[in-house]
Amino acid sequence: MSNEKSIIQNQVGIVTADDKMKAVSKKFRFAGISNGLISGLTYGIYSTLVIVASGYDPLISAAGLLAAPFVCSGLNDFFAGLWLLIYNWKQGRLKELGRTLNTKPGKMLVIGFLLGGPIANGAYLVGLAMAGAYAIPISATCSLFGSLFAWIFLKQRPTKRVVGGMVLCVMGAIIINFVKPEGAPNFTLGIICALIAALAWGLEGVFSSFGGAMIDTDVAVNLRELISGVVTLLLIIVFGGAFPLFRETLAVVTPVMWLAISGLSAAVSFLSWYKANSMVGCAIGMSLNVTYAFWGVLFCVMFLGQALTPTIVIGSIIIVCGAILVTMNPLDLLKKGEA
Amino acid sequence: MLLPTRMAVLNHVNKVGKASVNEVMSVLKPFYGKEKQFNEKMYLDHLMALEANGLVSLDKYNLDANNDLVLTYSITEDGRGAVEKYVPKEYQV
Repeated sequence: MSNEKSIIQNQVGIVTADDKMKAVSKKFRFAGISNGLISGLTYGIYSTLVIVASGYDPLISAAGLLAAPFVCSGLNDFFAGLWLLIYNWKQGRLKELGRTLNTKPGKMLVIGFLLGGPIANGAYLVGLAMAGAYAIPISATCSLFGSLFAWIFLKQRPTKRVVGGMVLCVMGAIIINFVKPEGAPNFTLGIICALIAALAWGLEGVFSSFGGAMIDTDVAVNLRELISGVVTLLLIIVFGGAFPLFRETLAVVTPVMWLAISGLSAAVSFLSWYKANSMVGCAIGMSLNVTYAFWGVLFCVMFLGQALTPTIVIGSIIIVCGAILVTMNPLDLLKKGEA
Repeated sequence: MLLPTRMAVLNHVNKVGKASVNEVMSVLKPFYGKEKQFNEKMYLDHLMALEANGLVSLDKYNLDANNDLVLTYSITEDGRGAVEKYVPKEYQV
């Protein structure tokens, strides 16, 4: 059968090593870019669904600013971790989790996960609860902080282009903050929380630079979500006194169902984001992922009745442009597109 | 405990300097061969991801007797540095 095939191919004379290599490279690059786009779309879905879940009792009427967003964040990440466990089990990769934790790059990643999970995700959801969709593009400034920390800790000097992108991110954030929406008393605090999230995510990236490139991203993401979910829930239940809220939330099925779906979106998003970064490089991967700011705002306007103001539209566009400029030279996209 | 697969793949390429997907798989087979994740697609993904991160580079490609593409990767300076820094010494020999 294979002989017949090769004879036919040789007669036609089209299948050479070059052809096959081009096909493999093209497939890999296409998969990388698709993963980046999917990660942005599903992150937008996750952001919107978490707002939906937190609109149900007992979460919406919970006392205190932190309890409900942290219960949401913990449950969302825990569900995402469970979805990813199923995925990795299907792929025959469960043993890789323990093996990865046993290595130095794995341990460094875990420190990053604690920053990016309980701290950043928690702050992001507090931001969403307080400032609504406005928090979404603000959190996209994480690439700014990523470059800033790489400069401080890894001595990677930013180029003029990167600095230009950073300035754009800050300008976009200022524009979004320019006009406060009505009926959001803790708006500025919400924006500050989104900034804390961006800062912690930027710092998380630094910890992945200690050998993280030799770790399978599907395994890393699984560990991230599981660790983040378990630690967040433990913190808020043990130290935050939110056990009654946690128990009541579990007893009411609807918000838990939404969080299970948002967890699935988060799982797909992180899985495809990390995959994209390891397939087409962090610069393009992050630029595609950051389109979540568009999707998030769009879904909130379409499904949650979020008002579409000129400041949120202009600010979001400027932040996305700034984030793209920080992570890559847009001209490279054109060049690679031609090749 | 065994190394995570992707790290083991990089570690092997570092040991021998350059290797194809099948060569890597045949050396790692005694350790990882019984696992469901031990398949060519997964190992090619590992090598291509390591390449995208600059830890290995594509050395050459050609067709074998079955007209299948054979990709050979070689270790880069960054890859060698990462192995020396992060792979425990007992696995490097």
